[in-house]
Amino acid sequence: MTDPGPSPSPEQAAEASTLASRLAVKQRAGGIAVPIATVLLAFFMGGVVVAATQHSVHKGLIAYRDIFNGAGLNWIFHPTTNLLDISAYNLSQTLLQTSTLILTGLAVAFAFRCGMFNIGGQGQYFMGLFVANWIGVSLVGVNSLAHILLALSLGTLAGAVWAGIAGVLKATVGAHEVISTIMLNWIAFWFGSWLFGDGGPLQNTTQPTVPISGQVVPGARLPDFWGVQGFQGVHIGVFIALAALVVFWALLNRTTLGYEVKAVGFNPDAAAYGGINVRKNLIRAMAISGAFAGLAGAIDMLGGTTNYQFGTLDIPFSQVGFLGIAVALLGRNTALGTLLGALLFGGLLFGTTHGLNSGAVIQPELAGNLTYMIEGLVVLFVGADVLILYVWNTPRRLLRRRAKPATSTAQLPA
Amino acid sequence: MADDLVLEMQGIRKEFPGVVANDDVSFDVRRGEVHALLGENGAGKSTLMNILYGLYRPDAGEIRLNGKSVSFSSARDAIDAGIGMVHQHFMLIPVMTVAENVVLGTEPVRSGVILDEPAAAKRVSDMARSLHFAVDPKALVEDISVGQQQRVEIMKALYRNADLLILDEPTAVLTPQEASDLFEILRTLRREGISIIFISHKLNEVLDIADRITVLRRGKTIETVPRKGATEASLARAMVGRDVLLRVEKEPAQPGDVLLTVQDLHVRDDREIEKVRGVSFDVRAGEIVGIAGVDGNGQTELIDALTGLQRIESGKVSIAGRELSHPNARTALDSGIGHIPEDRQRRGLVLEFSIAENIALHDYAKPPTARAGWLFPRRMVDRARTLIREFDVRGGGPFTRAGSLSGGNQQKLVAAREIDRDPKVLIAAQPTRGLDVGAIEYLHRRLVTERDEGRAILLVSLELDEILSLSDRILVMYEGEIVGEHTGEVSEEAIGLEMLGGRERTAA
Amino acid sequence: MSTSWTARLDNPLSARLRDAAITGYLGIFLGAFAAFLAIPPIEARTITWPILIGIVAMLLGVWTIARGRRRLGWGAFAAGLLGIGLGVLATYSSTDNLNQAFDATLVAQTFGLATPLIFGAMAGIFSERSGVVNIGLEGMMLMGAFWGIYGADKGGTWVVGLLVGAAAGGLIALVYAFFAIQLRSDQIVGGTGVNLLSVGITGYFFVQLYHNAPVPNGVSLLPDVNLPGMGNFLDGAIGNLSILTWAGFALVIVTYLVLFKTPIGLRIRACGEHPRAADTVGINVYAIRYSCVVLSGILVAIGGVYLSEGPQGNGTFIFNMSNGQGFIALAAVIFGNWRPAGAFGAALLFGFSSALALRLQIYSPQAGTLFRMLPYVLTLVAVAGVIGRTVAPAADGKPYVRQ
Repeated sequence: MTDPGPSPSPEQAAEASTLASRLAVKQRAGGIAVPIATVLLAFFMGGVVVAATQHSVHKGLIAYRDIFNGAGLNWIFHPTTNLLDISAYNLSQTLLQTSTLILTGLAVAFAFRCGMFNIGGQGQYFMGLFVANWIGVSLVGVNSLAHILLALSLGTLAGAVWAGIAGVLKATVGAHEVISTIMLNWIAFWFGSWLFGDGGPLQNTTQPTVPISGQVVPGARLPDFWGVQGFQGVHIGVFIALAALVVFWALLNRTTLGYEVKAVGFNPDAAAYGGINVRKNLIRAMAISGAFAGLAGAIDMLGGTTNYQFGTLDIPFSQVGFLGIAVALLGRNTALGTLLGALLFGGLLFGTTHGLNSGAVIQPELAGNLTYMIEGLVVLFVGADVLILYVWNTPRRLLRRRAKPATSTAQLPA
Repeated sequence: MADDLVLEMQGIRKEFPGVVANDDVSFDVRRGEVHALLGENGAGKSTLMNILYGLYRPDAGEIRLNGKSVSFSSARDAIDAGIGMVHQHFMLIPVMTVAENVVLGTEPVRSGVILDEPAAAKRVSDMARSLHFAVDPKALVEDISVGQQQRVEIMKALYRNADLLILDEPTAVLTPQEASDLFEILRTLRREGISIIFISHKLNEVLDIADRITVLRRGKTIETVPRKGATEASLARAMVGRDVLLRVEKEPAQPGDVLLTVQDLHVRDDREIEKVRGVSFDVRAGEIVGIAGVDGNGQTELIDALTGLQRIESGKVSIAGRELSHPNARTALDSGIGHIPEDRQRRGLVLEFSIAENIALHDYAKPPTARAGWLFPRRMVDRARTLIREFDVRGGGPFTRAGSLSGGNQQKLVAAREIDRDPKVLIAAQPTRGLDVGAIEYLHRRLVTERDEGRAILLVSLELDEILSLSDRILVMYEGEIVGEHTGEVSEEAIGLEMLGGRERTAA
Repeated sequence: MSTSWTARLDNPLSARLRDAAITGYLGIFLGAFAAFLAIPPIEARTITWPILIGIVAMLLGVWTIARGRRRLGWGAFAAGLLGIGLGVLATYSSTDNLNQAFDATLVAQTFGLATPLIFGAMAGIFSERSGVVNIGLEGMMLMGAFWGIYGADKGGTWVVGLLVGAAAGGLIALVYAFFAIQLRSDQIVGGTGVNLLSVGITGYFFVQLYHNAPVPNGVSLLPDVNLPGMGNFLDGAIGNLSILTWAGFALVIVTYLVLFKTPIGLRIRACGEHPRAADTVGINVYAIRYSCVVLSGILVAIGGVYLSEGPQGNGTFIFNMSNGQGFIALAAVIFGNWRPAGAFGAALLFGFSSALALRLQIYSPQAGTLFRMLPYVLTLVAVAGVIGRTVAPAADGKPYVRQ
């Protein structure tokens, strides 16, 4: 005698109550058109800001063109193989940036699939980076392949453990993973400051006053496959990132682990009813999520994007973990979407921070912040259920209205 | 007297996507009467009242209050016009006090800004006294009984000077004693000249308290009759449109071996309150045992314990002779139990998964669907195709999202999955809740078929009709204990009495 | 069902749990006290006292665990252990160092560092009590920090700075409110978006307007309130606090009064607990939630103005200046169980740990850096729910749909 059946609620489409199912609804409503529209809108708004502050719409457009060139995408129109050519160089760096973002994006995406919001990608990235640095600097004279594998795997493990802490807290005491991962970010931040700071255990030995780590020994550096080794060539980390995409897809769609993770994400009650151990999966999902981010940090360390060293002053400027959030959300937490999102933000990030040459209309520092604004807008827009559903349902609504003449004071619920 | 109408609703129409909830409904209430609105689930009673209370706008029709035409755009308008509503799901804030809940929105103030708590408390206790019941204005709502909470809801309405009170299925959550106390209060209110609309689908209550009765069926007004001369049978006929009681055709049961044994089971719920207090029974192969009872008497916890979703405090459960010790969901399912859960959307299905993925919900990790952790989706799809055909699940194929199926097909999907696992014991909890007649008939027939295949079926339902129709043996559960067992023909009254604790209901 | 509610109260289990709460809290207090003994002003230079009291705390913790409150009991146990450790450590430090670290100005610094957290916490309470989770506090605080400087610079006085900063916070909070309430966006995703957007906006305009150099000298700063002649200790502790710090104290009281003693506060809380119930008695849930979110943006932005315009910032702005303090403020809200007094206490605790971290730099820069982690670790402990089960407003985070 309880519920008199489903009351005819017009809100049934938005009834989904878990994070993962809400995001899935958004994915169904609109397919690929919506992410594209989101990006365009965000870019547009960013462009408005630039135009307004530079007092010229023309400059706004030029700014985007400069960013495009800065990302090396103009290479597509004039391909060369000589890495010394600027556009080739820019493109190569964009690819490197992209591969990092693929991994941090996958980290966020995997956790979302299990219904959890992993904002701790930045901290997990750092932990992977620190551990890889430690291994990469300390062991000398070890076989190169083994050295690299060891550093990468331990870095991955570090990220997994770091995220796992949040997972355990959530599974055992129900601590919200958003707060705990954010806190872990800052703890990792200060941990790194300590490690590489004055007198810290991993501080380099050659310049005792500079708060920077030791350099990864040549044997542990990731080999380049495009370009001159040591001149910021494109290293094999790119392939690792692409492989990670495949692993992500396979885990979610071809393993029992993925089945469990998705079930827990969509409906923990039904998952429990089906015999799935919800707590174990929460922890597992967070650990795997952190593993991706930790791998990103390890690859960056061994790949030389920061000249094989890392300093306390580099820490505040690293934002790849946070960009991973935008990448994952834009890519609707899928493998392909993450790839595309990573390409977009990779180009944007490099194009705005390093790629702009001195003749550009817009200063690099300005442009860098433009990236964050666009990123923020994308994340903000992605979260908007009703907007998307409203737009998605517009054709259906119009049809209905045309079929039945409106006679009354019928109101569509707000 | 016929002109002293406090409320007239004429020609009300309200449509939602896919369903006409109210179709040209007309209905009026005289001053100082208790008018019952009777109808089955989905007949349109709640919708009509939500319109009256300003929560919905009608697509067509007119409402007249005390002769004047009115149109409400929000609950506030209705409240200001003197209409109060006691909802089925209470609109009370558990962590606030009784007084705070009553005065919310029209709070008494001191010096313009400070909340005048003593004044609020006084008004609440004064009101309670005039209605002849006691309540502590400073008690937290979550700490008082359900019956008292309902009285707080009534006080909320009266506090805002309602002279027309709407009660939506008020006795659904009350014990018999509380229900009769409620009726006393209603009679007091009626004496004071307050008009009452009483929504229900319980025939006996309506005959007890109402002065006039309006029957709704499928969104239309069927008839309005005075209490005198109405009988349960005549009302039932109006409600359903045909002579009632659909009973499933079935052969008498041929019970075989005992497949499920429950011995002295004690189960506590999440709040550490003992909900199952020493229950013992068994179910044999080839019989359907139905557990009847009012919601909240331990049936849910009993099933949760049997299916490994709730811890067993003490007692024994055995399946086909083998004891099930400390079961979790997985071990319970693997030991031969099938479970059609009472909330298919929350427990039984992952709505975002496809039909194929849902079919695999228990067995996704076992061959042939998976080997050593690697999943073979093709096998899931094949199995789904077979079951879709066998159970006539309509609305899509193996790749269709479960959430897009209708309620009936979703339930068939759940049943298909459970039955296909060849359980020894099949537990069905509220299997036909919220389903249309066709789906209900299908499921009932299916349960009988499975019974004849030699399974032991345990049916738990809040619909007495369903229990009476399907069960070979009926157990009645009240406050965590089995208080009655019946085989063969038994009257509804006898079971009803046991469901209410076997206590005599004191009529007005 | 009628028996269940009253039965719960009379249940001997409840009585047991209530006692356990007392011993648990006592244990935590004693653990803190054990460490407190070793530092100025008491400075008992023997390790026996901290050890003894710490052991008592640990025993109380075990007792609490046995009586059913496991988390609280472990908290007391840990507090006892920690108290012993810290007490011993302090005893073995030189008195000079201790006196330098633990003096009256530590109190002042605590209040100072806690100020942005207090504003943030009260902001968070208003927002969450009305039912909207505000993860974007961090970004709103940042907006206040930057635009406060801008306002003080262009407007000439700190008053203008305060107004502009508050307005900036309010504006971006309005954007967030629109997404969260009107569009029923996922509030945590939306809040994260606000944070990222704020980093971008403040960074962009900082470079644009000030070309990435520190803000011009002589920007009007927030004044201090000088209370003369109260004796040595009080003088050092509270004689020279910023005006906003005092405003923060007042804010806590005002927040309490508004939320719990006025009709509007009752309605706000109703919206956060059971918005449909509030709607059915005619309360405009949307309006209340919008107002509370915008108010929270204004309040936390004022806290942000303190960061740049107050004694620590001294008229400078740094990229991403809020440094996680918006999140710590949120943690203070959770720690304090969504009550103003509790959140205030938590903010002070976090402020104290930050102040201590800065002090400990004198021992060793490395230890100082490590100690900077402390507020975040404490927050982790807080959300792990050591201090009892925290109860959020029931409808917190769930968008409300009118029908």
